[in-house]
Amino acid sequence: MAMPVSGVPATEARAAHAPAAHGLARIGRAVRRNRKATVGGVLLLIFILIALFPGVIAHDSPTQDAYPPQLGVSTAHLLGTNHYGQDLFAQLVYGTRNVLIIAFVVGLATTTIAVLIGVAAAYLGGLADSSLNVVTDVLLVIPIFPLLIVIAAYAQGGTTLVLIAAITVTSWSYTARQLRSQALTLRRRDFLEAARVRGERPLYIILVELIPTMTSLLVAAFLTNALYAVLFASSLQFIGLGDPNTVSWGTTLYWAQNNAALQTGEPLWAIAPGACIAVLGTAFALLNYAFDEIGNPALRPVRKVRRKKGDEPRAGK
Amino acid sequence: MLEVSGLSVDYILDRGNVRAVDDVSFTAGRGEFLGIVGESGCGKSTLLFAVAQLLAPPATVAAGTVTFEGTNLVGLTDEQLSAMRWRDMSLVMQSAMNALNPVKTIGAQFKDAMRAHGKFTGEEITARSAEVLKMVGIDPVHLRSYPFQLSGGMRQRSMIAMAMLFTPDLVIMDEPTSALDVVAQRSLMVQIKELQQAFGFAVIFVTHDMSLISHFSDRLLVMYAGQVAELGVTKEVFDRPLHPYTQGLLEAFPSIRGPRVPLKGIPGNPPDLSHVPSGCRFRPRCSYAIEKCAELEPDLYPMDGALVRCLRREDGSLAS
Amino acid sequence: MTDELPRADLLRTEHVRRYFKIGNTLSRRTLHAVDDVSFAIGEREIVALAGESGSGKSTIARMLAQVYRPTSGEVYFEGKPLSSMTSRRDRLRYSALVPMVFQDPFSSINPVFRVQHGVLRCLKLHRPSLSAAQRLEEAGRVFEVVGLNPDMLQRFPYELSGGQRQRVGFAQALAMRPKLILADEPVSMLDVSIRIGLLNLMAKLRDEEGVSILYITHDIASARYVADRLIVMYAGHIAETGPIEDVLTHPRHPYTQLLLSAVPDPRAPLSVAAETDRGEPPRVIDPAPGCLFRWRCPLAIDTCAQVTPVLAELRPGHDAACHVAQNSPEEVKAFT
Repeated sequence: MAMPVSGVPATEARAAHAPAAHGLARIGRAVRRNRKATVGGVLLLIFILIALFPGVIAHDSPTQDAYPPQLGVSTAHLLGTNHYGQDLFAQLVYGTRNVLIIAFVVGLATTTIAVLIGVAAAYLGGLADSSLNVVTDVLLVIPIFPLLIVIAAYAQGGTTLVLIAAITVTSWSYTARQLRSQALTLRRRDFLEAARVRGERPLYIILVELIPTMTSLLVAAFLTNALYAVLFASSLQFIGLGDPNTVSWGTTLYWAQNNAALQTGEPLWAIAPGACIAVLGTAFALLNYAFDEIGNPALRPVRKVRRKKGDEPRAGK
Repeated sequence: MLEVSGLSVDYILDRGNVRAVDDVSFTAGRGEFLGIVGESGCGKSTLLFAVAQLLAPPATVAAGTVTFEGTNLVGLTDEQLSAMRWRDMSLVMQSAMNALNPVKTIGAQFKDAMRAHGKFTGEEITARSAEVLKMVGIDPVHLRSYPFQLSGGMRQRSMIAMAMLFTPDLVIMDEPTSALDVVAQRSLMVQIKELQQAFGFAVIFVTHDMSLISHFSDRLLVMYAGQVAELGVTKEVFDRPLHPYTQGLLEAFPSIRGPRVPLKGIPGNPPDLSHVPSGCRFRPRCSYAIEKCAELEPDLYPMDGALVRCLRREDGSLAS
Repeated sequence: MTDELPRADLLRTEHVRRYFKIGNTLSRRTLHAVDDVSFAIGEREIVALAGESGSGKSTIARMLAQVYRPTSGEVYFEGKPLSSMTSRRDRLRYSALVPMVFQDPFSSINPVFRVQHGVLRCLKLHRPSLSAAQRLEEAGRVFEVVGLNPDMLQRFPYELSGGQRQRVGFAQALAMRPKLILADEPVSMLDVSIRIGLLNLMAKLRDEEGVSILYITHDIASARYVADRLIVMYAGHIAETGPIEDVLTHPRHPYTQLLLSAVPDPRAPLSVAAETDRGEPPRVIDPAPGCLFRWRCPLAIDTCAQVTPVLAELRPGHDAACHVAQNSPEEVKAFT
């Protein structure tokens, strides 16, 4: 026998129940109000803009070795030029597109596969659950990075598509596990049983009734996977398994490493792309924390109660 | 022994402060059983937490004092409070399943409680633990049991036993019987009353179930929308409810005996505390409301030995 | 047990049992959640199924809603056994005629969609002949019947109070034009002053819409307020059943007497019986024969430990499963 809701003012209780899916407007409001989300969102937006309009920001071509090599930082070349005379700043700006494409596509693909498999396993239970779990667990246990190396090497020159496919195949299992656990706790909710009792089919219940209630989890999964995609892709490109002719941060790092940039006095060549990766990763991570807090009010930072001077408790009637 | 005076509790939220408890005053004397009744959202649990000094942000005491045995508890530090906690005042929570640690035995939890509030030897702890369990009718062998091995009724009883470890002067209870079935509820209430008569402590008992409290409390405080609506001797509140809300509440209980009559309940819903109605907070649901009820906010008015917050009682226009 | 009442049974259960295997896969222990339960529900009546938690009442509801299949025994709806309903069409039709209303208003509606979502889905699934516009209109109509403003269709669940959400639950059930609504403790989680409104609604549905309701509750007083007949359950068995006024004024089974003595009633003086009873309803795992109430019963005799009592009629339409009550010409009082 359970209790009527009490103790919390009605409005607070209602706010806590407010759904995560009704409108981008709500997400927008939540992002603005949460400091972490704002910073992360702004950073991500900057990167997106750079990726969409690289020509506006960098006036040089990234691949043309048109300049004298090893120039230092100047207004003409914000990050100097590399060993080949290419403008470093332009390289990074144009490389953003590749990185973001990988991040978003992998994020989306991984989350989609993980949702379908993880949530179906949780909802269907029994034999379906067990068989899906076997598949998930096998992939989970295989160390990701060595597997990636094998796949990329086997694919003979990783184009961006190969990178995306390889990272997706190796990353979805972790998220599937996570989402399965979450879905298991949500499985017993009355409205799902109500849907079953009124005659809905299981596929409908999973897609329409269950998954939409997990949106904040899905957003978090997306952001995490996007983050790891950036890191894995850059790492693969760094060790030469990406296509060295693509313009990307990882490949810039690869060329920097090949030319021993740090030792030959061109530190920016190695540091700048690394810094970009770090900043983009931070943006995703901040947004991730923020969405955790948005989805679960219990995690929100509590504002310390400030007593104004002179606000002494007064004796009442 | 306990005097709450003008207590107000605010929730500091982004969109402004919400006053969950508004200017509540009451006393509890030695050995007295005070019942606090109200529906969801009336602020009774918040009030309880404020009295026990267990409010967590964003809730905070905005005004008023809680004087326990001469000391004002509001504003005391945790160290000062812990000297008094459990020895002089203890708390029984709403759901034992949530309050008891599921991975520790009952005995271990009693030991924790005793160790936290004093220095005792192992034998003293075991002896006292067994003693309080016997007090509530549980075989001391269950000191070695885990909460999930006990039934709901037994879990609640062990919560009460834990509250009795130091035989405090005041025990505050937040709906301890809600998760129990009717028969277990009744026997738990009787147990509490027996303990109270044996040891003489005061009880403040918060519940939404008015009919349950009717046979056990000495005085009754009815809360509505964060305010005291009525306060008086239990029997009199039941025989002659003064506030229209209390009247409505009493009429909302179908009876097992007597004729079957259609009941109406109280139309509408309790107000959103961030947008309280002007004038009397109960006015939108009150069948006796007149014009001035929307304009003036009623104060607590002493009448026939009780206190009632109703303009029409004050001016005598509402006949009993 | 024969039903003495002349009207046709809408739903009838015969010796229905539901056992659950407990423990790990190697264990052979079974929990007897529902044991040999037979009762009937007629048209236009509200039958209250009362009992403490663990008595099996929720399991019965789940069996009637076809969430579980009975371990043995049969449920008949309008004369047809449920086990013969194997096609999706049959089951869909049944779920429209026998819908369920759930206990928890805060988790029985999907928070992500507007409140109309559930009602419209019910209509789409079960009344496919309606056009989209007709569905909206019908949704508005059932909302009005349950006392909600049709504007509320566009609201989200978090904007509604607990009482309003429960009314939405009833509206969803009504939209399917049911014959019998299974109401699983629909008011337990609501504030006391709101409960009456819902109970009045249930009575209205019986009187004006001709719907029968199986009202599952642990609150006898509310059962008395709204129900025509009462079934009292204890530890998976039916202890007593009959017209509600009869059972409440002349309770024959000692457990019913205990329950009645424990119900808090501000208008009645405090009774003594339930204070001394410290027992709890047993968890029924692999039970031996005998009455399961015997350990708490002051009237228990030897037979009670040997033979499981079955329901037998003691007064017209009023049955009790108690050896002592059945063998005694006058009323026995175990608890006063």
